Amino acid sequence: MDELKTLYRYRQLIAALTARDLKARYRGSILGFFWSLANPLLLLGIYTLAFTKFFPSQVVRPYPLFLFTGILPWTFFAAAVLESTSSIAANAALIKKVMFPAEALPLVVVFSHLVHFALAIPVLLLALAIYVLLGQAAVSWTIVLVPVLMLFQTVFVAGIAMVISSAAVLLRDLRDIVSNLMTLGFFLTPIIYLIDRVDSRLWRALLRLNPMTPFVVAYQDVIFFGHLPGAADTFLIVAYSLVALGCGVLVFDRLRDTLAEAI
Amino acid sequence: MSYAIALDRVSKSYRLWGRRSQFATLKSALLRRDLKLEPEATVPAVKEVSFAVDKGEAFGIVGRNGSGKSTLLKLISGILKPTSGRISVNGRVAALIELGAGFHPEITGRENVVINGIMLGLSRREIEARFDRIVDFAGIGEFIDQPVKTYSSGMYVRLGFAVAVHVDPDILLIDEVLSVGDEEFSAKCIAKIQEMKYRGVTLVFVTHQLDQVRNLCDRALWLDHGEAVQIGDPVRVVDAYLQQVAAPEARRDAAQPAAETVALPDEEERFGSGEVILKRVALVDNKGRELVALGAGSAVAIEIDFDVRVPQDDFVFGLGIYHADGTCVYGTNTDLEGFAPERLDAAGRVRFLMPSLDLVAGQYRVDAAVHTRNGRSFDYRRGVLRFVVGSRVHDTGVYRPKHTWQFEGGIAFKSADPRQNVPAPIAEAIESAKKKR
Repeated sequence: MDELKTLYRYRQLIAALTARDLKARYRGSILGFFWSLANPLLLLGIYTLAFTKFFPSQVVRPYPLFLFTGILPWTFFAAAVLESTSSIAANAALIKKVMFPAEALPLVVVFSHLVHFALAIPVLLLALAIYVLLGQAAVSWTIVLVPVLMLFQTVFVAGIAMVISSAAVLLRDLRDIVSNLMTLGFFLTPIIYLIDRVDSRLWRALLRLNPMTPFVVAYQDVIFFGHLPGAADTFLIVAYSLVALGCGVLVFDRLRDTLAEAI
Repeated sequence: MSYAIALDRVSKSYRLWGRRSQFATLKSALLRRDLKLEPEATVPAVKEVSFAVDKGEAFGIVGRNGSGKSTLLKLISGILKPTSGRISVNGRVAALIELGAGFHPEITGRENVVINGIMLGLSRREIEARFDRIVDFAGIGEFIDQPVKTYSSGMYVRLGFAVAVHVDPDILLIDEVLSVGDEEFSAKCIAKIQEMKYRGVTLVFVTHQLDQVRNLCDRALWLDHGEAVQIGDPVRVVDAYLQQVAAPEARRDAAQPAAETVALPDEEERFGSGEVILKRVALVDNKGRELVALGAGSAVAIEIDFDVRVPQDDFVFGLGIYHADGTCVYGTNTDLEGFAPERLDAAGRVRFLMPSLDLVAGQYRVDAAVHTRNGRSFDYRRGVLRFVVGSRVHDTGVYRPKHTWQFEGGIAFKSADPRQNVPAPIAEAIESAKKKR
């Protein structure tokens, strides 16, 4: 609880650092923020090509929209967690030379990726509008639930980022471990395929052990399919978010005192 | 609660971070919070240090490199946690451990000032209220709207200092930062610090510039190998520290056996027939205590204890004082000064008395010799003695004639007390601070 109070106290700092991070990242680049969309769009192109032209049997239509819905939350998660592995080491000067709340650093990473995600949402809506005009998709009121999902996902990602960022200071290999796990995780999350088309009950249950699965499925439910997420997924989303946050606070709290020395 | 900072038997050990210990460290940190590792894997940096700093006091910490000064400062600031002991701090702390540590090169000075201020505990509104004063103090003009990566290192440091001193801390911790930047800015920093001290801000200083400790601090702590050796009056603590710093060097040099000497300018060389031996050469004060450091203008003597193995009737005792850079400051001997030798047949002592050693601050060495009048050496000891002269005044050269200043006509100075010997910009700043109140 104290931890959360501390965070509240440092909200201005986190906000200012997030703004700095975003400004610094795109200052001097011509396309600016659109670079954060480049990778998801590239993935989108490749998978659309593969699944509509090369082996089109399994496809949900319109496939690009389905894919886009899943890729954006995944990118938010994967990019934030991966970057958090180096968030503390990259700011060693702050930890060692300034009285600085170290937990702000992974959170700044999470928030700046959240901003990217949020800025990509209008692009997703534009795509949705195009398909609606083409008569290939429909919009449902459930789309207003997207911000709620984003809130829970942010809590979840923040928890994971706090664990990973502090542990990575003591265990440098974590960065490589995480980056490989992300490649694996991409395929173990129903982004390029539809979870309901997975043939085995057991496999569907196992996939839901991957905490990103219920999140991605829920985004697909409210944006693409236009219905409420299932009860199991809703429960898992809340549970995974709270557990991740709890672990994040606990682990960070235990490791905090060693950070300034270990960097 | 009149104290600002209190340390109760504070110790800090650093862990050695080996590749293999990484996982063990992570595991023990997660499972046991306390992180007690095997003693062989730790390096003690601060050992059982206790002291209290009163509100409004200026407290200096001196010691060699690696004596734990910076660690102590980081412990006070909360950047590091003590391994054992208790630290209590009353008031808002600003730590100048590294100026501009939080600056991001890609964004403008303006944005960095805001973020740096928030990091130091101000709200956005408070920073905006101070913004003009900060920029003015840093003196970087329109560069404030340029990315920080375009700044010179001087501008970078100036802006960092400007932000840190404008957060209005109750306690200011300063680590060695006053030695950066040019003379002018350095003087400005010291003036600002004087002003803060005047306003009742508690100051804790770590510095190698001992004059700053003597001039600015009310008390000082001498830290050696992580232990508090002495706490008290800054002039005394600094003098004691200087004695100890110079001593091992002098002892080491004196202990060099003649056979192993190398022809390095700083190393002792010794040559001669050995018929007469210079057993001991020492610098002593008027009470006969050996010195290795002294203030400019002190009354001192050089004592030479000799032993005679073969009695002589032709002998000269000589001395040379050299500056560390090799300049001969003074050289003389008994022959030059008209002492005609009569007998030298048993051990004895030669004393060279100087009522006032008028040297400028610096390091000096002494050569001592005994030889015949035509120069055949019995024992010639080069660099047999070393000493350090300390001074509050930063004058230059090697010789400081005894002097006073007199002024007539259309000339006036603000500082009325020439003994204060504070460089002019600081003295002015103190005066102006007094006038404002």
